[in-house]
Amino acid sequence: MISYQQWVDPITKELAKCVKRSDGWFIPYAIDNTDYQQFKIQVADGTPLEDPDGNVMTQEEVDAFLKTIP
Amino acid sequence: MSGNIKLNTPSNGSVTISTPDTASAVTVTIPAATDTATLNTQAQTLTNKTLTAAGANSIEATSGPTSTQLAGNRNKIINGAMMIDQRNAGASFTVTGSNYTLDRWLAYASVTSKYSVQQSSTAPAGFAKSLVATSLSAYSVGSSEIFSLNQIIEGYNVADFGFGTANAKTFTVSFWAQSSLTGTFTAFFANSDQSRWYTAPVVINTANTWTYFSITVPGDTAGTWLTDTNKGMYVSINLSVGSTYQGAASSGWSGASIKYGITGQQSLVGTNGATFYITGVQLEKGATATPFENRLYGTELALCQRYFVKLYEPPMRGVATGTTAGGASRMYVPYPVQMRAIPSLSIGGTFNFWNGLSTTTGSVLAGYYVGNSTFGGEVDINVAAAYTQGQVCAAYTNGGNAIVNISAEL
Repeated sequence: MISYQQWVDPITKELAKCVKRSDGWFIPYAIDNTDYQQFKIQVADGTPLEDPDGNVMTQEEVDAFLKTIP
Repeated sequence: MSGNIKLNTPSNGSVTISTPDTASAVTVTIPAATDTATLNTQAQTLTNKTLTAAGANSIEATSGPTSTQLAGNRNKIINGAMMIDQRNAGASFTVTGSNYTLDRWLAYASVTSKYSVQQSSTAPAGFAKSLVATSLSAYSVGSSEIFSLNQIIEGYNVADFGFGTANAKTFTVSFWAQSSLTGTFTAFFANSDQSRWYTAPVVINTANTWTYFSITVPGDTAGTWLTDTNKGMYVSINLSVGSTYQGAASSGWSGASIKYGITGQQSLVGTNGATFYITGVQLEKGATATPFENRLYGTELALCQRYFVKLYEPPMRGVATGTTAGGASRMYVPYPVQMRAIPSLSIGGTFNFWNGLSTTTGSVLAGYYVGNSTFGGEVDINVAAAYTQGQVCAAYTNGGNAIVNISAEL
């Protein structure tokens, strides 16, 4: 089953503008990227999204996060 | 003698009668928009003349040209000859859902592991490769299940079709196919959200025999058809379709409840070991299938790389970020061609690095950063023996196992 994890920029220490999928792919927050389109649909529907420390985010946290990305 | 006689008519404009310059010359004048004119049975040559369509009219050929030296870039399908397989290099791939297989060819399965896709050297005369779908079991398709081979054409590449407008153009798709099963499969076409769709039968009359198919589809004057970097048109061969999604072959484009298959169609996944081969896929404007357009391999590969690139020993250059990043180096990886969209990226294998003084190996990925570009991306690599922050860092050959996959597929 696919899951996602937020990623931290090691230099800025801020959330990177990409998410890591469980199959190893890094997916940018780019609206024309079909992996990104699928990511938003899937996590909104309950596919697990982990924070950078590996903790599964609650659906409320996911929904709030989705409002911060394009 | 030369000269014109002009007859004015009250309803249809004018009729022009031109006298021939020589005994063999023929002038054809089309008197009204709804009329047609046919040259006589003698061979005719048009020399130093221009055919001009008046007003909004157009001139179209009603039968195919006999020359094989046709103008290039007719084919909207990329990798129609199945020559390029960056992902699997000819190895069999078991379809688990929506999976890109040979370049630009998306295999779909409602249920995982019911068929595989592989590049094959079995091909009709004039072709070297084909795509083969092989059933992995005798599976009874559920009423709402679909198994299909698809190519999604980028909107830019079908913008000239004028779909969704009054000027929508007819197109023709042609291909070679063979199957171990006789019966009807389905060719399926749709817009980006599949709110407009069209089906046509692909009938295999003789098993295990290459057959050439040509399907002409009228232009769709309705619906929303994207003409940008997003999905322009679905082109599909539906191998198995559940009963819910079966219906009569289309007589025109539909916006009604979608049908992916023809009633009573064959089911590839219903027979263990059944095969369906396809190659020479061409989709072009007009009502005539012209000979397959063989583009140069490098050209075809570059077209594929707009959507997917597999870089072996990627030419990455960057700067060691040292202790700031826990021993990482931020590397820039250029893409061979501009990608359709800012791509997704994965990295595998082991890299070697050189900073001008020493080498280090055994690096692993730390992160990927978009760079907001379709021309190149930035990745962070953990360098086993960390370089000093600020040192230049170059990746170099390490036996061929370092790979970067880049995807901007539709």
